[in-house]
Amino acid sequence: MSNYRWRDSPDTIARLVNADKIQTMSSQQVLLKPNEACALIVDGRVGDILTETLLKSMAGGFARWLGDKVGVTANDRRLLFAMTGPMDYWIPFEGQIANGEAVKGFANFRLRMNLEDVPKLLNYFANNNPTLTREGLIGIIATEVRARVVTPCLATCSSAADLRSAMFLERFEMTAESEMRNLLSNLGFTMLKAFPITNPTDMEKVAEHRAKVQAQMDGNQVNVEAQLAHFSQTEALTLARIEVETNVARAKARGQVTVELESELKELRAQEAKWDSEINYERNKMEIRVDEADAKTKRAMDMFAQVQAKKADRIANQQNFQQQRMDSQNDFQQKMMEMAAENGALTPEVMQEMLRQQTAQKAVDVGRTGGVNSSAKVCSCGTVLQPTWKACPNCGSPIV
Amino acid sequence: MVGTPVDVIPYIRGIQLVLIGYNGYTKGSRIENDKIIREEIARATSRVRSHMENIFDIQFREGNIGLARAAKRCMEECDYLSEDVNKAASGMEHAFLSGQHSPSNKDLKKLIKHDHEVIEMITKAVNIANSSEHSMGTEDGNSKQLVMQTTQMITSCRGFFGARMNILSGLKSKKKRK
Repeated sequence: MSNYRWRDSPDTIARLVNADKIQTMSSQQVLLKPNEACALIVDGRVGDILTETLLKSMAGGFARWLGDKVGVTANDRRLLFAMTGPMDYWIPFEGQIANGEAVKGFANFRLRMNLEDVPKLLNYFANNNPTLTREGLIGIIATEVRARVVTPCLATCSSAADLRSAMFLERFEMTAESEMRNLLSNLGFTMLKAFPITNPTDMEKVAEHRAKVQAQMDGNQVNVEAQLAHFSQTEALTLARIEVETNVARAKARGQVTVELESELKELRAQEAKWDSEINYERNKMEIRVDEADAKTKRAMDMFAQVQAKKADRIANQQNFQQQRMDSQNDFQQKMMEMAAENGALTPEVMQEMLRQQTAQKAVDVGRTGGVNSSAKVCSCGTVLQPTWKACPNCGSPIV
Repeated sequence: MVGTPVDVIPYIRGIQLVLIGYNGYTKGSRIENDKIIREEIARATSRVRSHMENIFDIQFREGNIGLARAAKRCMEECDYLSEDVNKAASGMEHAFLSGQHSPSNKDLKKLIKHDHEVIEMITKAVNIANSSEHSMGTEDGNSKQLVMQTTQMITSCRGFFGARMNILSGLKSKKKRK
């Protein structure tokens, strides 16, 4: 007993085997896994559809050869093997969307075969070779997929962006489900899923390039902004540092100036105090001098007053004396006149002589007293100046 | 199972109403029983899918995308269930020292009950799918609700069928409190 392998490539989907052509000494058996099925077609009739089993003595072997020769076995025995699990099929397409952009891509169809649908593959094998591969199935359904599914769906897209929308994918799948059921059902397949994968269109490439350039520009812009921000920060930092340094320097200068001013002020205060002391000293000196001058003046005034008083006394004495002398002289002259008169000697000559002597006497008296009056000077302040004075004792103005 | 336990006879009878060849995993026919159960579930699933295909085609061509979308979703759920069933673990006698777990009689009893419940559930789904297509024909406005109810039933059935793996692997499961 040897194992028969009906599938030697992952692309093989189904195979129709004519069991009569398998002429081997040992009988053949085949193991059917859960995703494999075998439909027995005996004498033109569809028999059992087997899966998950070990199909023993499917072909070959002496017993079957002998039975054929004797004529106790079926005249025609064919085994239709098929994969029942889901398989993906990629169907290339080209088309245009509504705005004329060319679209290329693949339509993915995920197909499965139900166990009871395996004999439907006879529809395929009736006109094709006995091995069905992915390429063979794609070759059969591709035209109809493009005509019934791809083209109508692409026609509804007004731009490349519509190709990427979930709505388009859903419409594509629904259209495929609806439109492809007839063909797939005839072949025994059930569609599980369908979706398109479109390559980027020319406009999308342009948009992609534009987006890349824009992204690069934006990146550069961001870098520039970051650099500018960095510069701005640096500038602000520098300005702040300069301002701080300036403030510090200013504060230092201000402090220094303040210190200097304070020192100057102290010096000035000291100078002021010195000057005050000097002024006070000078003032005191001046006051002393003034006091001295006042004292001198007072003393001079006192002395002058004493002199004036003495002078007044002396003048009074002189006047008294002269008065007394004139009185005595008048008395004397009167007595003389009376004696002359009594002695009859009173003649005009005597009278004239007496008047002449009296006038001479008065002239002498006036010379003593009147000479002083004529030579006395008066200051602008009204003080009577003596001939021996060099300055007015009252106002201090010099006497020329 | 050499002899059929009495407590699972009603379930076996119930399944036999649908599947004539079913005998409750008696010795020597476990593989066949397992296969026909799964084939029946797959067949019922394909029936549901056929109803949904009809609804989808009509609604899509009429431009009623909402209902078509719901029907498509139900078809996808049917595909998932069908794939689960076709690739599900089978309970059978394994070769000696094969390292595989062979189900005990207790496991098989549970399996019979489980098969019965799954078939009941999928049969309900078929009925609802049939009603939804009928509702679409009569235009009573319940089509979408029924389609979505079918989807829900198929999803539940898929989840419930997944418990089969636990039964076959002999895992203990909590009994449901009524």
